[in-house]
Amino acid sequence: MSATFWVWFGISVYIAAGLGIAFMARRQLGAGVSEFFLANRKLGGFISALTYSATTYSAFMMIGLAGLTYLSGVGALGFELTYLCGMFMMVFFLPRFWLVGKKYGYVSPMELLSDRYQNRGVGATAAILALVFLVPYGAVQLVGVGYLVSGVSGGAIAVGWGIVIAAVCAIAWSSIAGLRSVAWTDAFQALIMITVSAAVLGVVINALGGFGAFFGKLESAVPGLLTVPTASGSWNLNMFIGLALPWLFFLISNPQVSQRLFIPKSVTAMKQMLGGFLIFGFLYTMISVLWGFSARLLVPGLENADLATPTMLALPIIPTGLAIVVMIGITAAAISTIDSILLTLSSVWARDIHKGLINRQVSEKRELRVGQWVIPIMAIIAFVFAWWAAGLAPFEQAGGVFDRMIAPLSSAASAGLLMAVPTIFGAFFWKRGTALGAMVSMIVGAIIVLVFQVTGEKPLGWWPGVWGFVVCVPLFVIVSLATKPPRDKAEEFLGYLKGALKKGRFI
Amino acid sequence: MVWGAPMTKTVWAWVWFGFLLALDIAIPWYVLTSVERMSAAFLFWTIWVLAAIASAFFIFIKWRAVRP
Repeated sequence: MSATFWVWFGISVYIAAGLGIAFMARRQLGAGVSEFFLANRKLGGFISALTYSATTYSAFMMIGLAGLTYLSGVGALGFELTYLCGMFMMVFFLPRFWLVGKKYGYVSPMELLSDRYQNRGVGATAAILALVFLVPYGAVQLVGVGYLVSGVSGGAIAVGWGIVIAAVCAIAWSSIAGLRSVAWTDAFQALIMITVSAAVLGVVINALGGFGAFFGKLESAVPGLLTVPTASGSWNLNMFIGLALPWLFFLISNPQVSQRLFIPKSVTAMKQMLGGFLIFGFLYTMISVLWGFSARLLVPGLENADLATPTMLALPIIPTGLAIVVMIGITAAAISTIDSILLTLSSVWARDIHKGLINRQVSEKRELRVGQWVIPIMAIIAFVFAWWAAGLAPFEQAGGVFDRMIAPLSSAASAGLLMAVPTIFGAFFWKRGTALGAMVSMIVGAIIVLVFQVTGEKPLGWWPGVWGFVVCVPLFVIVSLATKPPRDKAEEFLGYLKGALKKGRFI
Repeated sequence: MVWGAPMTKTVWAWVWFGFLLALDIAIPWYVLTSVERMSAAFLFWTIWVLAAIASAFFIFIKWRAVRP
């Protein structure tokens, strides 16, 4: 049987298993918006940890991060671990989001902002920011699957087919039972991701003579990749900060993950979610980076670093069966991220745009229906962007190889979402923050990021997200100080948190 | 952290986090920048993030059940 047959077989089994799990989850689906988008805030710690992990870690890890390591070395490890270090901020934000989510019944992080600043425009602005910037992030997941399926099948299956499969699965997982089907399939997919990636890395390290020999070979073959900056100029401080800053605040800036801070059923579940994710994140990061380094030794000289993983999986040292399973694992990582993005964007559209701005009297049933319609629409938009990013569209983009890489595209998405960070900090830590300060800072910051991203300009060498952040933080403070805050709400909101945080020994 | 409120543990946690971020830049770019070995930046970042994870565990392990 050919590799192409086994790729199709593997994908079929994966889809069948995912559908089975999603329909099992549907049996527990109740009625209402909170049920569909948040599983009624009653997920246990184990499932919460795995869905948080699967949502956070995407095709970026074993393709984009591995490719970045392949191309530019140890700086990629520092960049990704800086994100994980940023998860330390969960000790501040997790209990705060969870407590106010339970008390006030927020469905989306944007609804929290609207209520806290007493202005629906704040939530709507943050919602539009998410809609604009999460599309490229979702699209790169689709592209990742396309590259992978094509690479493992030796080009017999076109990149476009991989994109189609990923898009259809993401729509199905998120539509069948909302967060219940997403969380259950995420848990299944997270377990596949971590086990098969560890297994294939073990095979490769073994083939290279064990860890000691592997590290020795790296030091002798590519010593320049073990420092920052590299001799070629990669990972200078501007590049590092430009890529790492948006990811440092990923836990609060990306609504598909911050929405998950509402879902644990108890404090114990919350602790399990955080602890489980930190362990998962550390292991998966180390696996992905070591995989990228091993690719540099085994398949040097690739023109497109994003193809390092598919090329490695085609090597004879990796049994075909294992390569197929790894492909499924990475596909699972991509789909588990994009289905969560689709679900979050649909809740954001239904709650913060449709109900918040268009029809304030909408019934809960109608609101849910609107959200469910948004899922395929968003998937189609991401699909079109993916087609373009993969160079399949007739209007193929201009630009160098590095410009088309998955890592900068993903980081560009988080760079735009970074502009909501001052507003989120203000909601929890600054009584004086105002709606106008929030909206102006998000809009101006996002425009700066978009302009610099599109034109490719990096004044003073600073990346778009850094420029946007440098402008939006003082704007938030200055405009807030010049306008009137919602004093009563701020007192009530922060007063409640102060008491509740003390009771739970949170900090 | 509400400004002006006595939340010492919170402030200390933020200071610790800031210190970790300072190390993130200072050590790889200024101390280990010319050391081309796995025992340099690679090992530093591995230990550094384990310290961050351990400190998060140290804090959240003390959380106790509350009903919002």
